[in-house]
Amino acid sequence: MKLLESIKKDFNTMTWVLIPVAIAINVVIGQIVVLLKLPVFLDSIGTMLVAVVCGPWAGALTGTLSNIIWGLAIDPSAFPWFPVALFIGFVTGWCAQGGLFRNTWKVAITGFIVALTAAAVSTPISVYLYGGITASGSSIITAYLLQTGRDLLTSVLSTNFLVEPVDKISTAFLAFAILRGLSARYLARFPRAGNATPEKDDRRALFIGVGIFVVLAILVANLINPAFLWIGLGVAVVVIGVGLLSSRIR
Amino acid sequence: MRERLSFYIQRHSPIHRLNPFTKLTLAFALVLISFFSPWYWTALCLILLVIFPLAIIGRVGREFFAAALRLLVPVTGFIFLMQSLFLPGGETVLFRFWFLRVTLESVARAFLISMRIFGMVSSFILFLLTTHPSELMTDLTRRGLPGTVAYVIISTLQILPQMQAKAQTIIAAQRSRGLAVEGSFIRRVRALVPLVGPLVFGSLVEVEERAIAIEARAFSATGPKTSYREIDDTPFDRTVRWLMVALVVLSLAARFFG
Repeated sequence: MKLLESIKKDFNTMTWVLIPVAIAINVVIGQIVVLLKLPVFLDSIGTMLVAVVCGPWAGALTGTLSNIIWGLAIDPSAFPWFPVALFIGFVTGWCAQGGLFRNTWKVAITGFIVALTAAAVSTPISVYLYGGITASGSSIITAYLLQTGRDLLTSVLSTNFLVEPVDKISTAFLAFAILRGLSARYLARFPRAGNATPEKDDRRALFIGVGIFVVLAILVANLINPAFLWIGLGVAVVVIGVGLLSSRIR
Repeated sequence: MRERLSFYIQRHSPIHRLNPFTKLTLAFALVLISFFSPWYWTALCLILLVIFPLAIIGRVGREFFAAALRLLVPVTGFIFLMQSLFLPGGETVLFRFWFLRVTLESVARAFLISMRIFGMVSSFILFLLTTHPSELMTDLTRRGLPGTVAYVIISTLQILPQMQAKAQTIIAAQRSRGLAVEGSFIRRVRALVPLVGPLVFGSLVEVEERAIAIEARAFSATGPKTSYREIDDTPFDRTVRWLMVALVVLSLAARFFG
C-alpha cells in the first residue's frame, strides 16, 4: 500500500487544478503549431509539465485525459491514441524523478527516452488499427519504406523512431524553458517540485551530454537501418538548434 | 481555431433521451463489432444501416454529415489512397504505374481499414452530437468515476475556449508589433516563443487562485456528494446495453470459432 499512498500524495488540490490548464496548454499550443505550419506536433508540453512537478501518475492521467478532451472537443479520432499520451506522461515523470529534468542536456535525454517510448507504443496502434498508414504526413516515409521491401511493422517502427525524437525533444525543451520561467515559490506548491530544481548548466557537461546523445541517436538509427545514419545526425543537429533557441525564453 | 466547443447539439429526439452511458456503450460496441467481426462488409453495413439512420432519428443528420465530411472524408480518403497504392502483397494486379503496383487485395484491405476507421470515428461523432458532456460526467460519476476526474474533464472543456480566445489575442497583439507568423521556416520557429510564453505563464498563474477557490468550496471533502442533475436510467436503456455487450461477445466468438 506504500505505492498507493505515494500516488495519493501526488494528487493534491494544486495538481487537480493544474491538470485542466495543462490539457488546455496541450491543445492550444498544438493548434498554434498548426497555425505556424511547423513540422512537429508539440501537443504534450502540458503533459510533461504535470509529469515533472506532480509525478508520473499525474502525468499519465493528464496525457490520457488530454486525448479524451481532444476527442470530445475537436476530433474523435484522437481517442485510440491515448496510450501514447499516457506513456509520454508516465515516462517523463520517472525521468524527472531520476533527476533528468534539471539542465539542458539531461532534458534532451529525457526527450529522447520519451520519444523511444512513444514510438514503441504508437506502432502497434497504427499497425493494428490503421493498417500502418495513418493520416499523418509521416506516413509518406512509411510508404517509401514499404516500397523498398520492408515489412509493415518494421516500416512503421522505423518511421516513428525517425519522427518522434525531433518532436519529443523539442517538447521537453519547451517544457523545461517554461519551468525555468516559473518562480520557485510557485513551483513549491506542487507535490514533486524538487524535480524541477535547476542545476548549473556548465559547458563541459553540455558537451558530454550532447556527445552521449549523438552516440545514442546514431546507435538507434543504425539498429533500424544503416541508411538512417545521416538522419540520426540531422536529428541531433535539430535538437541542438532547438536547445539553443529555447534558452532564449528565459 | 474553432469557437464552438464540444459537438453537442440540443434537440429533442429519442437518441437524446437515452441514458448517456447507454450511448457510450453503443458507440464502443459499434467500434468493437466492426473490428472483431470476421465478415468483410460488417463495418460498411454498420455505417449505412445503424449509424446513418441513428443520426437521422437523433435529428442531427445535417450536423452529423457536416462533421463527417469535414473530419472523416479527407482522412479516410487519404488512408484509402495511400494504402491501396503502397501496401505490398497481392496477386491480382489491377494496374501498374511507374513503380507502383496496385493489386485487388491491397485495394480490398485499404477499403476495409478505411471503413472501420470511418465507422469508429463516426459512431463517436454521433455519440458526442447527442450527449451533453456534463450529463455524461454526472452519469459516470454516479457509476463510480472519481469526482475529481469528472472535474478535470468539465473544467478543461470550460477553460479551453477561454484559452483559445487568449491565444487569438496574443497572436493579434504580437503581429501588431511586427511578429511574422508566416514566411521562412526559421521565422516561423522563432515566432513560437513569443506566442507560447505569454499564453502559458498567464494561465499557470491562475492555477494557484483557482486551487484556493475550489478548496474553499470543499473540493477535497470526502463525504457523499449530491448532484444537481437528475439522469434517467430506464429498463430500456439497460436492455440496450446488455444487447450491445451480447453482440460484441457474439462477434468476438464468430472471429475465433467461426
